[in-house]
Parts: sequence; C-alpha cells; structure tokens
Amino acid sequence: MMRSSITRSLWREWRFMLRERAMRLWLWVALAASVIAVLAGSIEVTAQRTTIERLLTADRADRAAQLAQQSDWGSAAYYASHLTYDPPSALAFAALGERDTMPWKHRIRMLALEGQIHEADVANPELALVGRFDLAFVAAFLLPLLVIVALHDLRARERQAGRFELLMSLSDDRLWALRSGLRGMAIGVCVLLPGLVGGVLGGAPWAALGVLAAVVLLHAAFWSAVCVVAATAARSAAVVLTALIALWWSTAVLLPAVAGAAIERAVPLPAGGEIVLLQRETVNDGWDLPKETTMTAFVTAYPQWAGHTAVARPFEWKWYYAFQEIGDLRAAPLSETRRRGIAERHRLAGRWAWASPPALVERALQRVAGTDVDTSQRYLGRVRDFHASLREFHYPKLFRDEPFEPGRLSDLPVYGPVRPR
Amino acid sequence: MSAVQRIAREEWRQWSRSRLAWVSSALLLLVLISTAVLTLLQVAQETASRDALQRQAHDTFLSQPARHPHRMVHYGHYVFRSPSPLAAFDPGLEPVTGQTLFLEGHRQNAAMFAAAATGARLGGLPALSPAVIYQLFVPLLLIVLGYGAVARERESATLVPLLMQRVSGGTLIVGKLWALGAAALLLTLPVAVIGLWATVAGDSGWAALGVTALCAVYLLAWCAIIVAVSAACRSRHAALAALAALWIAAALVIPAVAVDAAARAHPVAGKIDADLRMLADLRAVGDGHDAGAPAFARLRAELLERYGVDRPEDLPVNLRGVVAQHAEAEQKRVLDGYAAGQMTGEAAQARVARRFGWLSPVVAFATASRALAGTDLDNHHRFLREAEALRFSFVQALNRIHAEQLVYTDDIARSRDVDAERRTRVDPSAWRVLEDFRFGPTSAAARLQAAAPALLMLLCWLLLPLAGCAWSARRLETSP
Repeated sequence: MMRSSITRSLWREWRFMLRERAMRLWLWVALAASVIAVLAGSIEVTAQRTTIERLLTADRADRAAQLAQQSDWGSAAYYASHLTYDPPSALAFAALGERDTMPWKHRIRMLALEGQIHEADVANPELALVGRFDLAFVAAFLLPLLVIVALHDLRARERQAGRFELLMSLSDDRLWALRSGLRGMAIGVCVLLPGLVGGVLGGAPWAALGVLAAVVLLHAAFWSAVCVVAATAARSAAVVLTALIALWWSTAVLLPAVAGAAIERAVPLPAGGEIVLLQRETVNDGWDLPKETTMTAFVTAYPQWAGHTAVARPFEWKWYYAFQEIGDLRAAPLSETRRRGIAERHRLAGRWAWASPPALVERALQRVAGTDVDTSQRYLGRVRDFHASLREFHYPKLFRDEPFEPGRLSDLPVYGPVRPR
Repeated sequence: MSAVQRIAREEWRQWSRSRLAWVSSALLLLVLISTAVLTLLQVAQETASRDALQRQAHDTFLSQPARHPHRMVHYGHYVFRSPSPLAAFDPGLEPVTGQTLFLEGHRQNAAMFAAAATGARLGGLPALSPAVIYQLFVPLLLIVLGYGAVARERESATLVPLLMQRVSGGTLIVGKLWALGAAALLLTLPVAVIGLWATVAGDSGWAALGVTALCAVYLLAWCAIIVAVSAACRSRHAALAALAALWIAAALVIPAVAVDAAARAHPVAGKIDADLRMLADLRAVGDGHDAGAPAFARLRAELLERYGVDRPEDLPVNLRGVVAQHAEAEQKRVLDGYAAGQMTGEAAQARVARRFGWLSPVVAFATASRALAGTDLDNHHRFLREAEALRFSFVQALNRIHAEQLVYTDDIARSRDVDAERRTRVDPSAWRVLEDFRFGPTSAAARLQAAAPALLMLLCWLLLPLAGCAWSARRLETSP
C-alpha cells in the first residue's frame, strides 16, 4: 500500500516535471552539455591515440636510421632515442584531466636521465590554462549549478501560484524531497547517459562505468538535498538562489584555491632548476675529474663492474656513461624529494577535496579515467625503469669491451606502456 | 540634486539595508584583497628568485676553467623567465609555461618546470588571481547587487508611481546604471593599487593604467547587461535566474568550449612529433662533430681552394671549428623552421579561442588582460625567441674561437694524445662571449596593440547592452 503510493507519487511528479517548460529546458541543457563534452573528449582521445601511433612509426624509423650509421656500442647508445608514452584509457575521454599540463610522452636515450625527464611535451599553454570542456567538468562544476537553478524555486513557485497552502495540507515536507530528488536525479541522468554511451562504445570496464555512474548520481543527489534544505531556510527564491550560488562558489572555487595554496606552502618542492643544474654540473665535472675518481664512484653503485673500469684513452664510452650515471645519482635525492613532494601534495589535496564535493567528483573521475597525478607519476616511474633497462643492456657490452655486432641491436629493450585500464 | 542622483542614492540605500548585499560584498572584498596580496608577494618572490638564478647561471658559466670551446657549447647555459610586474594582477600563462630553459649547441630545448604540473590542484577552475576574480566573480557580485534594480520596482508596483512623478524611463535606467556603475568603479580601485605597485616595480605606467581601465570597462559592461536584463524581466526572481544562466554560459561554458574548438580547428603536433620530422631533416645537414662527413665535403673543398692548400692541416683556420660553425647555422635554419611552425600553430589556436570573445565578455576580458599584463602566449613565444637568439650567439662565438684559436692537428689528436688535448684548452676569459639575459616586458604601446581586438569586443559588450537599456527605457514608458 505504502509502496504503491510512493510509486504513484513518483509517477505524478514525473509527469509534472515533464510538463514544465523551464524544467524541460534545463534537462536539454544538461544533456547537450554532456553530449558536447563527451564528443570533444572522444575526439581528443582519438587524436592522442593517433599521435602515439604516428610517433611510434617515426620513432622506429629514426632509431633504425641512426643505428645504421653506428659502428660501436657507445655511439649506438648515444644516438638511439626511444619513445615512451602513456596511452589514454578507455574512459579518458570523460576526464582529460592532467594530460594537458603533465607530459604523457617522452623520447629518451642513455644519457643522464635527469637532464631529459623534466622536458615536457605538453599542449598549447593558452589552452591548458582554461582547461577542457570534458565530462568531469560538466559533472563537477556545471551539474551543481544546473541543479541549483532548476530546484531553488520549487516552493516559491507554488507560493506564487497560490497552491502552497493547499499542497502542504494534502502532503508534508516529503513532497519537496521527492520533487527535488526526482528532478535533481533527472539532471544527473542527463549528464551521465552520454558518458555511459561513450564508455560502452569505447570498451571501458563495467566497474569503471559503475564508478562513473555512482559519482555523477551521488553528486546530483547531494546538491538536490542542499537545495531542499536551503529552500526551507528562506522564503524568497532570490535569497535561496543567491545563497546556493554562494555555497557553490565557496566549495567549488574558494576552498580549492585556499586549500591548494595552503598545501603548496606546507609541502615545498625543491626547485626543478636546482635538480637540472646539479645534474649538469656533476656530468660536466666528470670530464675534468681524474678518471679513477669517476670509476671508483661508479663501482660503488655497480660492484659487478669492479674489474672492468680501467680507462686508458682520454675518451672512452664506458667512462662517459659512468659520469652520466653519476650525474643522475647525485641529483637522485633532490629528484626523489621532489617526486615525494608531488605525491604528498596530491594526497593532501585528495583529503581536502572531501570538503569540496565538486573537487571530489573531478578527482574521482580523473582517478577512474587514469588521468590523475598518480597515474602520471606511475608513468614517469615506468620511464625511469625503462631507462634503467637501457643501461642494463649496454653496460655489459661497454664494460666487457664486447665487439660491436649490429645484429644484437634487435635485442634493445622496447618500451611497453602500462596496460590502459 | 538631479533625478538621476536621487534614484542612484535610493538604490544605494536599498543595498545598505540588505544583509545579502553586505555579506556578499564583504566576502568578495576579503577574497579579492587576500588574493591580490598573495599574488603580489608570489610575483615579487618569483622575480627575485629567478633573477638570482639567472645571475648564478651567468657567473657559473664565466667561472668555468680553461677547456675546449666545444665543451662549453655542450656545457650550455640556463635562462629563466622573470614575470612582468603586472603579472601580480594577471599571471596569465605563467603557471602553465616552463620558466627554465637549457641552452646548448645543436638543440632547441623546451621550457621546463611549469608550476601547474606540480601544484596541489583540487579542481578544474583556474587558480585564483586578481584577474580571475575580476573576470569571473566580481560580475557575480554585481549580479547580486543589481538584478533587482528595475525588476524590484516593477514587482513592488512602485514603477508606475515613479514614472508618473515626471521621472522618465530614461532617467530611471540611467539612475540605476549610475548606482551600479559607481559600485563597479569603486571595485576597480584595488586594480589601480596593484597597477601602482607594478609601476613602482618597473612596469609601464600606461600598461597599468590600461589594465585599470580594462577592468572598469568590463565591469561597466556587466552593469549594462544586468540593468538591461533587470528591466526586461517581469520579476526579480526571473531576472536573477536569467542573469545566473547568462553568467554560467559566459564564465564557465563558452571559455571551455573555445578551448576545444581551438584544439580541433588547428591540431598542433607536439614537440616530439616535430623533433622526429626535424631529425630526418637534420641528418641531411650532417653531424657538425664529424668534419669528414660527406655533407661537409663541399665546404671543405671550397675552404682548401680559397686558401690554396691541399690538406686541412695547412689551413690557417681549424677545419673542425669552421664545420661546427657552418653546421650550427644550417641546423638553426631547420630548428627555427620547426619552432616557427610550432609557434604559428599555437598562435592560430589562440586566435580561434580568442574569437569566442564575441560570444562571451569573459573571454574578451581574459585575452585583453593577459595581453596588457604581458603574460600572454605572444610573450611566452618572445621569451623562447630571445632565448634562442642568446643560444645561437654564444654557441657561434665559441665555434669562432674553435675555428680561429685551435690548431687542427691538436684538435684531431686530442682524444688520443694528452698533450694535444691540453693545447686545445682555451683561456677562461673567452667565456665572456656570453651576453647578459633578462626577459623584460614590452612597451605599453605594443601591449595595447596586442589587446586591441579584445578591447574592441569589450566595447561592443558595453555598447550593445547600453542600447538594450535605451530600448527598455522607452518601453518602460509605453508599457511599464
């Protein structure tokens, strides 16, 4: 009995909702914004995939051309660059995230890594500044505003139409919860649907789509509830709307800005310039230091080459790569501090985001789409691993002074990206 | 007291009684002032730290010991981009562009260490700066203050009596504009203070004045929009809802859509992409380290013929140095071609995005403010070009020393013969070929010119709603 009455009320509210011109307009706006965002995101992701394909081909051609001209292991290592990349996940279209400001492709070779890994091949800064119109932006920032504009005056409108007292005598406060909830969820569904379609077409895993749906609908439910509470607190629709927009502004704009500034102050990072300067000085000193000094320091890190470090001529490749590596080793503590600092900032920002639903939504979507800071850091870790594997490949040949056999270059390590989620 | 002043004064009295107006003004002012102070401190600190790093890099280069000049070509040099003082108002692209650039022979590196890549980011909106507050949030305050300007009179049925007291529709609208406009002008005062600081810190006073005027015009445009909408709507509430929707579209949707449209209209290949195509071209130029490479055969033959000798050893110049000079110049031609292509592509994208200023005053304001503050894309490109000029000048100066002061036979024997290696070292006084580098702002006239198209858009954004106001004024009298 109870159940059927709720079903009936729902059905009635549903029909009311669709009959209202303003409400239909907001639903269309939500749907259109989401469709545009999903299309734009998908086009961008496709472009990134094409770029990776094209780069892979050009990268192979360039390496082959360079290697064909070399006649010793040292030059082969010097002239061969390798493409590393972080392909977009199947859900990346929904949250392009940090891919505009953080690098997702590098081309590296066996020289000191610290001199290479900070180079960022990123998009046009003028575009990166504003940020993309992606689904995460729509769900995190626009959706609350749409819910607010659509729901703030539900009571005031009934009052204006002179039906308020009548309605309240027939029903109770649950009516507003039901009406607001239904309309808020309808807006949420309009935002969500294009994202789900895009995800299914792109082959995103069901679990990720489930998270996407849960996040968007919960966010819509949250702001609907806020609207219900705000509408009980004040009679004037204008006051309710202003208060709600002020709340949106405080949580979506002010809190992230204040928290971001506070976190950056609390977790300072070593200046990037210091890392590269230290690395350069060390590598450069390598040319002038006695060769034994360099090789002794190198053997501390690589005891397995202890018997193979004699350098007879003014220039030998194994000595050259040894002081390159020492440059990396010297810069490593600073670089490591910086990496830990970035991770710590990201972690603290994640904690603060609990106070700002829009920030929380955006971060959750970036996380599930694999476009967040953690993913970017994991990619950079993979680049470091790959660089280490290049050294592993070349060191035995250089230190044992093995004769150059071009055929063995086909065993050069190949970068394998993280399997996109 | 004229009728216009009376109406304006009445409007101010309304605000002074409204708690909403007080609270929202106080909140915004608080945020504005703290943001201004923080941004100003940050710019001052960044300027000091980058200038210090620049001096340090320069001194380190000059204090290098005697060595082979080509070692210095690879040792390279670092340049740092100092923010313009007006970045305290609008940091613009500062946080998303690298500020450190490594200059070395044979390569044009990318700028490193953009602050945005390491910042603690909680959300997708741009970080707060005075410019962002003026761009996005001061209009929001003006909406809260002004949405009821005319609609309130109509709703509370005071409009007809007012109009009957020989107050014309025009007077009423002008009075309301006056009231809101005065608040807008008052709100631009902090900009003037920042501008004053920037002028003292060495920026152009005219540019600072331009930024202040820009804010005034932009906020007045919003005032005109608000009064026009307020006059056109039946109720206060309808006016507020319409203005809120307008703000969402202008401030949040259109700028983000502009970015996507720009990225679509002119896809720009990334640096690696360009580098890979460039490497193929550079292989044709030849490796300047290898004077015997076939690519330099003609240069070598010409040189031998010009001096009437048969062997490179008999030349009065060092063949390796001459080849290095020649190869660097040829490489620069290729590198510059690709760099120009990259910049042209980015500029084309920016032009598409900026054109959306016709659809949203927010976009027009952001464009003009970055241009006037000297923190726009063109300035970043200028930094890259100035750094490249410095790179080429010191690399070629070192190559000239390589060609003129080093003996060829020593040069080719130096990786086998320790004495020959010692003779190829050049006295450190030679490192003084490195010129000073300081990235300064452009002239006010140049910045004004860069901002001109966006300023024109803003002018239209002011005049169009004013025309709307005039139309409403006439309509008020016929059908209030």
